[in-house]
Amino acid sequence: MNPQPTDNIYLPKLARLERVVDEIDEVRTFYWQFLDPADQQAFKNFKPGQFAQVSIFGAGEFPASLPPSPTESEVFFTVRRVGRATEALHKLKPGDIFGVRGPYGNGFPMEAYAGRNLIFVAGGIGLIPLRSCIVYALAHREKFGKIQIFYGAKTPRELMYRPLLHEWEKAGGFECHLTVDRSENGWQGHTGVVGSLFRKPGIEVPTTNTTAFVCGPPVMFRFVIKDLLDMGLKDTDIVSTLERYMKCGVGKCGHCCIGVAYVCMDGPVFTYQQIKKLGEDI
Amino acid sequence: MRARLVLQEDVLKIVDLLRRDHEVVAPFYGRGRDTFFDTVTDENLDRVQIHIPNPYYPPKRYVLPHIEQLFRIRKADGSYEIQSTYDQTKRAIFGIRSCDLAGIYHLDRFYLGREFRDPYYARRRANLFLVNVVCTDTQVDINDECYCLCTDTGPAAKAHFDLQLMDLGKGEFLAVAGSPAGEALFSAPFFRKATEEHVERRRRILSEVRHRFKTTTGWFSATVRYISQEKVLEKTWEAIGSRCLECGGCTYVCPACTCFTVTDRPTGPNEFERVRLWDACALYGFTRMAGGHNPRKAVHDRRNRRFFRKLAHYFIQRELSMACVGCGRCAEVCHGDVGMPSTIEMIRRATTEYLAHESAAH
Repeated sequence: MNPQPTDNIYLPKLARLERVVDEIDEVRTFYWQFLDPADQQAFKNFKPGQFAQVSIFGAGEFPASLPPSPTESEVFFTVRRVGRATEALHKLKPGDIFGVRGPYGNGFPMEAYAGRNLIFVAGGIGLIPLRSCIVYALAHREKFGKIQIFYGAKTPRELMYRPLLHEWEKAGGFECHLTVDRSENGWQGHTGVVGSLFRKPGIEVPTTNTTAFVCGPPVMFRFVIKDLLDMGLKDTDIVSTLERYMKCGVGKCGHCCIGVAYVCMDGPVFTYQQIKKLGEDI
Repeated sequence: MRARLVLQEDVLKIVDLLRRDHEVVAPFYGRGRDTFFDTVTDENLDRVQIHIPNPYYPPKRYVLPHIEQLFRIRKADGSYEIQSTYDQTKRAIFGIRSCDLAGIYHLDRFYLGREFRDPYYARRRANLFLVNVVCTDTQVDINDECYCLCTDTGPAAKAHFDLQLMDLGKGEFLAVAGSPAGEALFSAPFFRKATEEHVERRRRILSEVRHRFKTTTGWFSATVRYISQEKVLEKTWEAIGSRCLECGGCTYVCPACTCFTVTDRPTGPNEFERVRLWDACALYGFTRMAGGHNPRKAVHDRRNRRFFRKLAHYFIQRELSMACVGCGRCAEVCHGDVGMPSTIEMIRRATTEYLAHESAAH
């Protein structure tokens, strides 16, 4: 047996940082490209909901959601500065080289949702993993029923992807509702937790033939799930992506193994029915 | 049977034969109870042991080192050169016990048998020759915690070795080939013809040795069933968890544990290495994410994680191999007495009682 060097599942491919956009406090979007066009070509067929392993050499490797949709031309990560490796990423400048491998994980089975109503419920930086499937769904608008986006943050300053949100709010053919927990700086929109949007007059949330995508902090997740179930959605119709400490992304290191699932291989996308069975905090 | 007879005075000639084109590792005595695997040299060859208490530090490290370099990374001209660093040494483990052999088989299933093959493991494994020694000395080889009878992995391995040696007494060993590479050794003149009588003696000794194990009642099947059917009460897990001191010792000595962490560290100016290190699910930091959120906080959650991962039917079926091989090391090193045998017993007893009570109440 003489395996070729390219069989190394842990080998990061080199990528160049193109530009950096500030999103909110401590969160930035990093646009990048592989140095080798062949790597770029191989990567671009990722599915919404998948993730990649990002290497900042010398600082380490971490898993990051893929917020772009495969229907978009650019690839990027949106990353909060929380630890050693993400801090190192935040220090990179355009032109700097880092490593990427992936895409990994199951992703959202978007084809399976054809003909269904889609409701997206995101809180805070939970919009990062959902951005991909929202953009994907809007790019294939004709394939789905009603599409609603509900997005909330603590304050207006903490709303992610603001130019895109403005676009979504203005566009026709789907609804985008924003809310903040605390109004400030002359915020004109809705105030309250994201679930309060479901009961806002004038908003009709479909409850049959509907798939709900929920991503956000654990507290928000619990309340939104309760709201959705109360409204009559089934636990198999609620999907989310789980976040776990991961060292490999390919089902070997064991860190993301919960219940009978490896989040990196069997997830990160799970239905709420599956999440309940895994028996661990979101 | 591809079997030959080897005289006691010739047994270490097998080591010499293998040393021609392999690094050979074998068990040695340290001080006191301490025993360890080490590379055989001209100096220590005569101290290689056939019968010896199985070292705590399992020979797993020759396929999955406790610290292993994955890449050498060099920064140059604003970019990086990444070199995969593989160990392709031809290596033989002489004297690996049947339980540890089953451990390596489990690692094969885990690292090579799924969608992604681990390239580091694959190369080490492809270059590995395994000489299994059957535990027959009830004073030395087998201790109170050995429970390979319960996991069906010993005392004599049925497969996965290249060569198996068993002491037949009277200065004679039976050698059995388990692979073409093992059988190729038989061309050496000191492998003599074995007779029906030798094979019969092997059978007799094995059936005798089976009665010398102290731990024969590890009811894996009942426990696997209870865990897989989610019949184990939370308070049973809590009772097990409350005895865990979170030292990580059980995972450290386990021949079938697979978890690792990865870290980058500097090796010089503009040079780094990426290494992987054994990790342990019993430790608090195992699931802690950047920013501090830890979805698995309680010690019993972590403790139970390990037993669940090893005993849930789902994983046994997925790997077609159970992640416990009955070596008994966890039981020996655990200060809280929650090694595998006592955990199996606690789960089985508590759950059987609970279920009996339940059915009586209905």
